[in-house]
Amino acid sequence: MQASKNILISALCSLAVLSSSHAADVSIHKNKESGLLTWTSKDDGFSIELIQLIPDFIRAIYNKHDFPVDEVERIAGYCLFGTIIQNTSQQQLSYRVSDWRYVDKKGRSYPVKTKTQWLEEWRKAGVTFSWTLLPDSGDFEIGDWQQGFTTVQLDRNEHFDFIYTWTLDGIRHEGKIEDMSCAPASLSTNPSKQ
Amino acid sequence: MFTAQAAERQQPKLGYRLTALSKPIPAPDFTLEDMDATKFSLQDYRGKVILLNFWATWCPPCRREMPSMERLHQNFKDKEFIVLAINQMEDGDHVFAYTGQLEIDPTFTILFDKDSTVSRAYRVQGLPTTYLIDKKGNIRFRAIGGREFDHPEVEKLILQLMQE
Repeated sequence: MQASKNILISALCSLAVLSSSHAADVSIHKNKESGLLTWTSKDDGFSIELIQLIPDFIRAIYNKHDFPVDEVERIAGYCLFGTIIQNTSQQQLSYRVSDWRYVDKKGRSYPVKTKTQWLEEWRKAGVTFSWTLLPDSGDFEIGDWQQGFTTVQLDRNEHFDFIYTWTLDGIRHEGKIEDMSCAPASLSTNPSKQ
Repeated sequence: MFTAQAAERQQPKLGYRLTALSKPIPAPDFTLEDMDATKFSLQDYRGKVILLNFWATWCPPCRREMPSMERLHQNFKDKEFIVLAINQMEDGDHVFAYTGQLEIDPTFTILFDKDSTVSRAYRVQGLPTTYLIDKKGNIRFRAIGGREFDHPEVEKLILQLMQE
């Protein structure tokens, strides 16, 4: 019994050492013309920027690459965010989208759909195009950065918290951007009301 | 890629740091066509240092780094060095129209990887990704994301590889 307790304490201590959660420095920018929002979070050697994208823009992108109409509409039904991630540290950093999730206002947590999962569905729809989505994972050296779409499958009106992780120097970090929202279905003629 | 609203936002500043691979990797050979359907093979450039760049017109950082690639190309055009920019899954007409809008018209070689076979061989996960290949055909440096390729530090690396 005591041995089990010691193992548990040891395991908990290890977890405390190997993971780190900090309040991220999050800023929100509202585009003056479109009213669309961008969240930027900078923390512990990693920065992430999530940019609201409207469905018509998504349709334009995938129509241009000859996606089937049904597939274009299915993708446009998701909330898509242009995502820019960057290694701002002075050492190697890694990330895995499969570790990321979003949590709705009822506390339900959902994994972020990975590029691999999307590509599998696209292949079944006869699509060979494999770009635009944020790569599933990456080992970023100093100065490396990457961009691509991140998808969230919630009602367009829902708000949610976005939780992302990265590993730096063997320590897993976690950041959270609170109260995010999807882009509206279309742009208002008065962006100040969005 | 993220429309005008993203373009308006401050994207990450283009750095100049290229990462040295801990162990050189042989660069996979390929044969691709340029805009005039002329075939180019990587092995034709053995003996030259190669900046191999994977890009697409819809990729904002690709657009941002392209002028620096052209300046680099101009700075080294009489030396044992070549820039090969491999476009992903787009056609010549589209790329031609795109390059006409750039602040500097690229004169380096643009090749077309129409089914992304070459980018898969190089395990490119996102665009832009760039490799620096030595005269023996080994990948020596890598950059994920946009860079200022005519930065003195990058030119110094190229000169070092040329002198090997």
